[in-house]
Amino acid sequence: MKQALARISAIDADLTPLIDLAFLLIVFFVLVARMSGEQLPAIPLPKPTDVAATPAGTARRLAVNVLSEDGAVVFTLGGERFLADGSGLDRLASAIAQRLRSDPSVPVDIRADRSLAYRAVEPAIDAITAAAANVGTRVTIRVCALQGEGGAP
Amino acid sequence: MNVGRTVSDTRIRLAMTPMIDVVFLLLVFFVCTVRFERNEAVYTLDLPQRGLTADPLALQQRALVIRVGTRAADAVSIELQADGLRERPASFDALAAALTRVRRGTAPEPANTGLFLAEHPVLIAPTRECGWQDAVDAFNAAVRAGFRNIGFARSGT
Repeated sequence: MKQALARISAIDADLTPLIDLAFLLIVFFVLVARMSGEQLPAIPLPKPTDVAATPAGTARRLAVNVLSEDGAVVFTLGGERFLADGSGLDRLASAIAQRLRSDPSVPVDIRADRSLAYRAVEPAIDAITAAAANVGTRVTIRVCALQGEGGAP
Repeated sequence: MNVGRTVSDTRIRLAMTPMIDVVFLLLVFFVCTVRFERNEAVYTLDLPQRGLTADPLALQQRALVIRVGTRAADAVSIELQADGLRERPASFDALAAALTRVRRGTAPEPANTGLFLAEHPVLIAPTRECGWQDAVDAFNAAVRAGFRNIGFARSGT
């Protein structure tokens, strides 16, 4: 009888902590994927020699990313993608304006691929100024670069 | 006898699940609170605030213009323009040196007798095909020289 009871208790498994762990892992990977992927994708930013810029810091900021995808220029903002055509740039300006309305003091950063030409980045500056004029606020626009070696690729 | 065995059994039993649970909780907590420090630096742009009323009494200053051309054969043409000034620095280091020379010094460097104050507007005017790297290099040179109001001109102006 005692041996039978021992066998039963040996195969008993508590599922609650297992489910707990599984959910924790899901939350962890969701958070990491969101933080690393959406706001600040890895872009080869310009690397000036003897950088005189100030560190970006950890304060809240809006990042307008200018990427080159198969030769085409694409803008991203918080996970949303915008094409570099008329309607895409209008949508980008609206998205920036929407975010500026909720927090007009947040700086808007331009994170552009160093291999792009100035004509590819200029629409981003125009979209930010148009959004600021639409909201009726003074916006701080910043240009991102890498300070020294060992940063993003 | 039985009691002694029970005590020794409970001593060696280690509940790993709640410990791992707590470790993961701590991990999630630190991931949420600590932000990833990227090796990024920022330059603040000085742009005309469109749609906002400008000060009618403000003095109109003609900006120091840095024209940056399209890179060809691993070289880029740079031109520094202002009233009574036209220079063609060979590199961005030379541009920074030229800009430092034309800037009027303040307290830490009073010997610098240039014409332009650190607050004087500086406009980077890249061509449409100018590389973003070169445009940012020119911006960096102006910041290195101590100028504070730096902006980008519309391409083709």
